[in-house]
Amino acid sequence: MSVILECKSLTKKFGSTTALFNVNLSLERGKIIGLLGPNGSGKTTLIKIINGLLVPDTGSIKIAGMNPGVESKKIVSYLPEKTYLPDWMKVSEAISFFKDFYGDFEEKRAYDMLHRLNLDPTKRLKTLSKGTKEKVQLILVMSRRANLYCLDEPIGGVDPAARDYILNTIITNYDENATVIISTHLIADIENVLDEVVFIKEGSLVLHAPVDEIREKEGKSIDSLFREVFRC
Amino acid sequence: MLAKLTKHELYATGRIFLPLYSIMLLLSLINRGFSSIGELSSPFKTLKGFMVAAYVISIVATLVITFVIIILRFYKNLMSDEGYLMFTLPVKPSQLINAKLIVSFLWNILSIFVVATSLFIILGTSKNLEMFRGLLDLAVTGLKSTFGSSYPILIAEYIIMIFVCTIYQILMIYVSIAIGHLLNEHKVIGSFAAYIAINTIIQMLVSIIVLIWTNLELSIFTYTPYYGTTETITGNNVNYSVSIVQAITKQIIPFSIIFSVLCCVAFYLVTNYIFKKKLNLN
Repeated sequence: MSVILECKSLTKKFGSTTALFNVNLSLERGKIIGLLGPNGSGKTTLIKIINGLLVPDTGSIKIAGMNPGVESKKIVSYLPEKTYLPDWMKVSEAISFFKDFYGDFEEKRAYDMLHRLNLDPTKRLKTLSKGTKEKVQLILVMSRRANLYCLDEPIGGVDPAARDYILNTIITNYDENATVIISTHLIADIENVLDEVVFIKEGSLVLHAPVDEIREKEGKSIDSLFREVFRC
Repeated sequence: MLAKLTKHELYATGRIFLPLYSIMLLLSLINRGFSSIGELSSPFKTLKGFMVAAYVISIVATLVITFVIIILRFYKNLMSDEGYLMFTLPVKPSQLINAKLIVSFLWNILSIFVVATSLFIILGTSKNLEMFRGLLDLAVTGLKSTFGSSYPILIAEYIIMIFVCTIYQILMIYVSIAIGHLLNEHKVIGSFAAYIAINTIIQMLVSIIVLIWTNLELSIFTYTPYYGTTETITGNNVNYSVSIVQAITKQIIPFSIIFSVLCCVAFYLVTNYIFKKKLNLN
C-alpha cells in the first residue's frame, strides 16, 4: 500500500503553547481515518499544516511525496471548520469557481448532490442558513476527485438527519485510491465508517490503529476508548 | 492561474465598482441636462439642487470607495475566513498578491478616468472647452519656457510617478495588513500601527537622504519631494532656474521614482514572505 501522508517529528508552537509536539504519522491510501481528540488538542493545526496554511517549526510533512505547495494542493481537498465561501456568491458561482481552479472537480457530481439535497443553485450563499452553507461546502469538497480529503468537523453544525446524508456522501464519493481524514469529537456518529483512528492529545499522538484491531483487542467501541483515554 | 485569479478578482470587485461608476456618470448626465434647460420652475429647482448634491457625493464616494474597497477586499478575501479558500487553491501566494495588485491598480486608474469623463460631461460646453484648450496651451507654453526641450520628459516622468505612487500606496496597505495579521489578537489595530510605523520610517529615511543630498551638492536650494515644498526662488537669475530645472527632471523625480520602486519591492517581498511562511489565519 502506498503512503499518502507522512509526518516526521512534526512540531508547531504558537508563542509559548505547543500545538503539536513531535508527531510521527504515516497514512496509507484507501482509508477513512478519524482524527480524534478533545478541543484544542491540535487536530486543526495538523490539518492546516497538511494544507499549507501553517508552516511547521520543525519536522517534515509529505503529501504523496511532496512538500505542501501548489502541487500538493491540487490533490488535497480541504473542508475547513469555517464558512469560507464569499457570501455574495451564488451557489452556482461557487461551483464555477471550484471548476476553474481545480482540475479534478466534477461539476455534474456537485449539481447532482445539490439536487438530492433540494438546494437551489441560484441562491446566494448569504441567504442560506449556517448548516446549509456547510452542506454546500461539503458538496464542493467532495465533488473533487482528490487523493486526500481533509474534513475538519464536517458534521459539527448540521442536524442528525443531514449528518447521515453527509457521512453517506463521504463514503460513496471517494475512490479506493483516496484517503479521507475526518477530524471530529462526535465519535459515536462516525465510528461505523472509520477504518482507522488517530488519537491526539495535547499535541502528541497517543494512538494510531485500525478500528477492527481496537475492537478486538480492547473489546470496546472507539467511543468508550476515547472516553477512557481522554478522561478529564 | 494568474489569469483566472485576476478574472475572479475583477468579477468580485466589478460588481461594486461598475454600478458605482454608472451612477456617477448617470448623475452627471442628469445634471448636464438640468443646466442646459435654463430657467426652472421651483419644484424642479429643488430637484436640481438635490441632483447637484448627489453628484458631488457620488464623486467623493467613487474616489474614497475605490480605496476602501481595495483595503477591504484584501483583508476580507485573504485574511478572514475566505483566506481558507484562497490559500488552499493550487496557486502561489505571489499570484494571489499579483491578482489583487493588478485589479486594484486598474480600478484606481479607471476611477480617475471616470471622474474626468463625468466632469467633461458636466462642464463640456463649447465655451468651457475653448477655455480649457486655452489653459492647456498656456500650461504648455509655461512648461516650454521653464523646461525648454526637456518638458516632454518631465510629463513622462510625472505619469510614471503617478503609476508608481498608486502601486506604492496599494502595496503599503497590503504589507501593513499582512504585518498586522501576524498578531494573534487585535489584527486590525496592528495593521493600522504597521501602516503608521512604515510611513514614519519612510519619511525619516527621505528626510535623511534629502539632508545628505542637499549638503552634498545642492546648497543653492532645498527641495523635498515628499513634502512638496520648494523654497521660493527670488530674482530672475537664469543659471539659478536652469540648475533647478535640471535638478527636477534629472535628479528629484527620477530619485523619487527609484526610491518608491525600491519601497514597492520591499513591501511586496515582505507580504509574500508572510504569506508563505507566517500565515496565521484565525
